[in-house]
Amino acid sequence: MKTDESGHCSPAKSMTTLALWVATTIAPAHAQDDRFTAFRDMMAEDNPGEFWVDAGKALFHEPRGPKRQSLAACDFGLGPGVLDGAYAQMPRYFADSGRVETLEGRLVTCMVRLQGFDEQDILGPHYLNAAEENSDRNELTELTAYVAAQSNGMPFRIPLAHPAERRAYALGQYTFNRRMGTMDLSCANCHGEAGKVLRGVDLPVLVDPHTAGKVTAAFPAYVLKDGNVRTWWWRTQRCVLAMRLPWLKTGSELDAALTLFQLKQAEESREPIAVPGIKPRA
Amino acid sequence: MKRSSRRIPLAALAAAGFLLFTCTRAIAMEPALPAIGEPDFQAAARASFHLNHPEEFARVNDPTLAVCNQTRDRPSDLETAVILQREQAAIAYPPGGQLLGDWKKGKDWAELTHGGRIGVPGFDDADDPRAANGANCYACHAINPNFPQAGNMGPPLVGYGKLRGLSPEVVKYTYDKIFNAKSMNPCSLMPRYGGATRLLTPQQVADIVAFLLVPESPVNQERNQ
Repeated sequence: MKTDESGHCSPAKSMTTLALWVATTIAPAHAQDDRFTAFRDMMAEDNPGEFWVDAGKALFHEPRGPKRQSLAACDFGLGPGVLDGAYAQMPRYFADSGRVETLEGRLVTCMVRLQGFDEQDILGPHYLNAAEENSDRNELTELTAYVAAQSNGMPFRIPLAHPAERRAYALGQYTFNRRMGTMDLSCANCHGEAGKVLRGVDLPVLVDPHTAGKVTAAFPAYVLKDGNVRTWWWRTQRCVLAMRLPWLKTGSELDAALTLFQLKQAEESREPIAVPGIKPRA
Repeated sequence: MKRSSRRIPLAALAAAGFLLFTCTRAIAMEPALPAIGEPDFQAAARASFHLNHPEEFARVNDPTLAVCNQTRDRPSDLETAVILQREQAAIAYPPGGQLLGDWKKGKDWAELTHGGRIGVPGFDDADDPRAANGANCYACHAINPNFPQAGNMGPPLVGYGKLRGLSPEVVKYTYDKIFNAKSMNPCSLMPRYGGATRLLTPQQVADIVAFLLVPESPVNQERNQ
């Protein structure tokens, strides 16, 4: 068992190392996805992401923050404290904040309003979670994994009943197709049609229900490359980073619009949510 | 003659009625989406991007891409002329005007992926602006047949120089294409690599030109067994 710099055992890191060894040693560059599929199936039984779900459950029910409150009264759209199936219908519009919120965005709203946390403290350095070899956990990801896992087995059913939700969909579609950044690319340039390969990596088509369903239903996912659980915001931010755009804020208007648009594309697949999934890369 | 000319409008009316019926049904089933315009996007982008410096927001907007986005990459003849003129004027050449640089350096620039990624304080995957940038050519192209990775968003460039030779026209075409692909094709999928706000210096572009064109470069050699 390897130990990290602080001397703690890190089973997650060891497994990541094993995954990378399998991928780089045995497999030729372009066959990596097949190897990873086999490896993912093998790992599905003992997904390290379950630790994030367990930690999130404990955090959710513990009285925390300046107001010493748990998150039990947080309304994720189906009523205060109702978690079953809530993530399958997010992002959605919330009247109390007047915004369309992703699951992470909603958690931040509740942590600020119910528990008295400062938004900057939640989204600040602790949520960077950035370096590819850094398997530090953060609370918002743990909470997101826990709440999302309460929709396991259900397909996404994103509501478009409220005008703000329809506006978010249209804004997400507009943003997805808008070329920008130093690479002169839009999301659609890489993820709009089948068969695109980027430096040996097969790109998922995010406007095709089948492939979009497979990808979105796995997030928040344990990402082998990172030895960490990553959320859908992170998946989007990795592309925004590669487009050389400025940093996309978690739960922001564009984050919610892009997430809602992409999950709506995936919805038709009826792919059941299976969180935490296993991904070779985010 | 008179009769048939009367029948056509009737048939057209029936077709229009049918279309109206089916369209109304479609609208009734799914409420229409609101129209989103550039001002809506700009307001959302201002609120959604974290900026370390105000100038980072400039990357969101570009006059050429604005036309490409507006026309779905099909600008009018006039718009095309304006774009080509602006982008041609943006091309700069290395001091001394030698467009064929060092192919060994060009090989590195083509492989390296560093450059231009923006983070927030403490984020480790952001790129250090003081270090030399790469072009990550293999993201989209197959180039050196011995390099294990390639993409398919751009055409394969294996044997690029072997096919084209080393004439001054080919050298300049290749340089201009890498420095600013939109100087030739107004809404080219290929990023513009040259210029102060972009990834490569004129000398780096010249190095990549040599990597693609000179006979001794692996691009123009047989694949190692």
